Amino acid sequence: MSQLLFDTSIVNQLNLHILPTDKFKTTTMIVHIEQDLKEETVTQTALLPHILKRGCAKYPSTQQLRQYTDQLFGAVFHADVIKKGEKQIVQIQLEIANEKYLSDNSPLLQKGIEFLGEVIARPLIQDGGFSKSFVRSEADLLKKRISSLVDDKIRYANQRVTEEMCKDEPYRLLSHGRLEDLDDVDPVGLYQYYQQLLAENPIDIYVVGDVQIDEVRKEVERCFHLNRQNIRHINFNPVQKDQVEEKLVIDQMDVGQGKLNIGCRTHITLQDDDYEALLVYNGILGGFPHSKLFVNVREKASLAYYAVSRLESHKGIMMMMSGIETDKFDQALEIMKKQMAMMKTGEISETEFMQTKAALNNQLLETKDNARTIIDLSYNGRISSTEKTLEQILEKVNQVTIEDVVAVAQKVEIDTIYFLRDKEGKS
Amino acid sequence: MKKIRYEQINETLYYEKLDNGLDVYILPKHGFSKSYATFTTKYGSIDNHFQIPGKDKVKVPDGIAHFLEHKMFEEEEGDVFNKFANFGASANAFTSFDRTAYLFSSTGHVKENLTTLLDFVQQPYFTYENVEKEKGIIGQEIKMYDDNADWRVYFGLIENMYHHHPVKIDIAGTVPSITEITKDMLYTCYETFYHPSNMLLFVVGAIDPDEIINTVRSNQAAKSYSKQEEILRFFEEEPAHVAVSKNVREMAVAMPKVMFGYKEKMTGLVGDELLKRELATQLMLDILLGQSSDLYQRLYEDGLINDTFGTDYSGETQYGFSVIGGDTPDPEGLVKKVTEGLEAAKEKGITKDEFELNRKKRIGSFLRSLNSIEFIANSFTKYKFNETDLFQIVPTLEQMTLEDINQRLSEHIQQEQLSVSIVKPVNQA
Repeated sequence: MSQLLFDTSIVNQLNLHILPTDKFKTTTMIVHIEQDLKEETVTQTALLPHILKRGCAKYPSTQQLRQYTDQLFGAVFHADVIKKGEKQIVQIQLEIANEKYLSDNSPLLQKGIEFLGEVIARPLIQDGGFSKSFVRSEADLLKKRISSLVDDKIRYANQRVTEEMCKDEPYRLLSHGRLEDLDDVDPVGLYQYYQQLLAENPIDIYVVGDVQIDEVRKEVERCFHLNRQNIRHINFNPVQKDQVEEKLVIDQMDVGQGKLNIGCRTHITLQDDDYEALLVYNGILGGFPHSKLFVNVREKASLAYYAVSRLESHKGIMMMMSGIETDKFDQALEIMKKQMAMMKTGEISETEFMQTKAALNNQLLETKDNARTIIDLSYNGRISSTEKTLEQILEKVNQVTIEDVVAVAQKVEIDTIYFLRDKEGKS
Repeated sequence: MKKIRYEQINETLYYEKLDNGLDVYILPKHGFSKSYATFTTKYGSIDNHFQIPGKDKVKVPDGIAHFLEHKMFEEEEGDVFNKFANFGASANAFTSFDRTAYLFSSTGHVKENLTTLLDFVQQPYFTYENVEKEKGIIGQEIKMYDDNADWRVYFGLIENMYHHHPVKIDIAGTVPSITEITKDMLYTCYETFYHPSNMLLFVVGAIDPDEIINTVRSNQAAKSYSKQEEILRFFEEEPAHVAVSKNVREMAVAMPKVMFGYKEKMTGLVGDELLKRELATQLMLDILLGQSSDLYQRLYEDGLINDTFGTDYSGETQYGFSVIGGDTPDPEGLVKKVTEGLEAAKEKGITKDEFELNRKKRIGSFLRSLNSIEFIANSFTKYKFNETDLFQIVPTLEQMTLEDINQRLSEHIQQEQLSVSIVKPVNQA
């Protein structure tokens, strides 16, 4: 199977990564702007993509901008902000049809890159700052987005356990920022901050599709004129807590089902040698329908519909999650802890082990069939300075032994047990 | 095996109807690592009253199609997930109003995984104990959805629209309704709806069509099925008007949510007519309420909507409705402004430019969805069950006229067909 290798070059002091492939009928382009996740800038950074997607100098109203992307055969234009460990990333994305499959032969790639250049390099400016009305309405919408986190109980429980677990670490912050910063956002100050980000922070542009490398480079060179200077390198350095003490946090709300989330410290990140062993550990514990959590919490005890574990390896956290009856809290917790204990003592069958490896192989190989997951995998490597190819990760996964997994199990510790439950009973 | 070539999108589809009645479609995808297969029965949550000619009429509890889907994964020798996991495949299933699909994706061992898929779906194993045990699991699935405000507001709308039609029944049923389910009922449903002649297999991805069809042929030839008459499905007569025009529910949310839409008066369309109606309605909603429309921009600037706002349309033979909405600080105000805007558009009509621009956008968006082999398999099956073809979407859009859209607008947007479902924050005492 062919390896997916990006052609990486520096164009106008931007990192440009191009992957020509005829697998997709569209071209996907994602611009990433990297920033530290920290209190002082988290809200400003979070606001930026929402303002950029409202309009730019060339398309000053949102409607004009949207009508233009519609004309490009309904190009999908999207801008948001995500959190990867203790980094906050602004993502501006465009997915555009490849003219090869259309009866119309307009140069869509060229127009697409040009459009992204307009949106990023020439935003709509008013009195030396961003458009006041864009800032006002987007700050307001962001506030609502933050307060409505509670509407999705699974996500809410996940954020609550993260906050409790990482009280004194940047990782507690939401990628959306903080409510208290949104009352009075200054459009001029925000624009200056954006200028600084564009000048100094790492910017990575990814292009995946049936494209010519030279053509993409030429277009990026033509369309992205940013005043780059004093470019910083942002270190991969998530805060690690050494002393971990298990604690219990309970919230009560008007809900029918209890959400049990257990936040664990793995003390292993993407940069560590035992990262692939951690992937196997998580797979055996709760990554798949053959895993211990699914089999024991769901299939055997019939306590839950979902019972899983998930990794965040930019930070080194593992989250176990399940939705249960409130009065089954003790029983579910005991079963979940018991599965972790079995991992520690090496009670792992050869079947579980082999199935997990096969499933991980499948999961990793599947990332090759989607332009976004191809980009994500490469970018994860980039910001953690661990530029392993997919094939290298696979090879390491396949070399992991049961002993390696048991060694990982000794490191994983429960930090916070969180339960979101109903209002009945005493608080 | 028949070969069907689609020049413009550069795809080749292979088709064969097996002796036992099973429809098999195969689509090789160049350059993909993954393969994906769906094995789907034309049986969903709405099929709760039925008969096989010569046998008794049967009425079954709510949620049984979904319950059956869960139970298929259990075999006498254990959980079928293990068999897939041995070959690294990831398996899943889903139940909708009108179909139940079993699927896997894998980056290797496609023949082995395909055999597992065919065998587990064609080999039920229900016992008193395993049926009882599943009630706990599905009970938690139902409770998860009960706490999900987006699902509640959406389903609340369908419940409002329909008087009798089983589309108003929650797909998973309720905790009391699933309590009634027995292993005998599961076998009855299984024997009725899982006959190969009521099913479709779609295999797509990194595959060789000849190899796949040979695997399927020999797997099916080894199983014996007697011929089955066409299944009769019964539905109570459904009045054209909506059952309830507005419903408000309180939940633990921060911002209100609203979903509203129009119930189709006319039912009974099939095939290309049904496809055309669906595409025209979606296009009409895009033009009037999509992100580049005047109305969307006004509502956004007034702070009445945010990026959760969207439109959707479900158009099946038996039922059809549009769904409009999202999170909003003022549900009633939003409904008022949108419905007024739609009424005004009806007076004024859609322009040629708006129509052309949005048609272009739809075609682009369809091409984009062809990047997803999951989309291809699931949508192809859905359209086939409605006696039409996924790959007819582009030609149908190309042939559509402005008159078609304007006619759809005046036909679909009718005040008396409107229903509204709202979720509001619980009063914090």
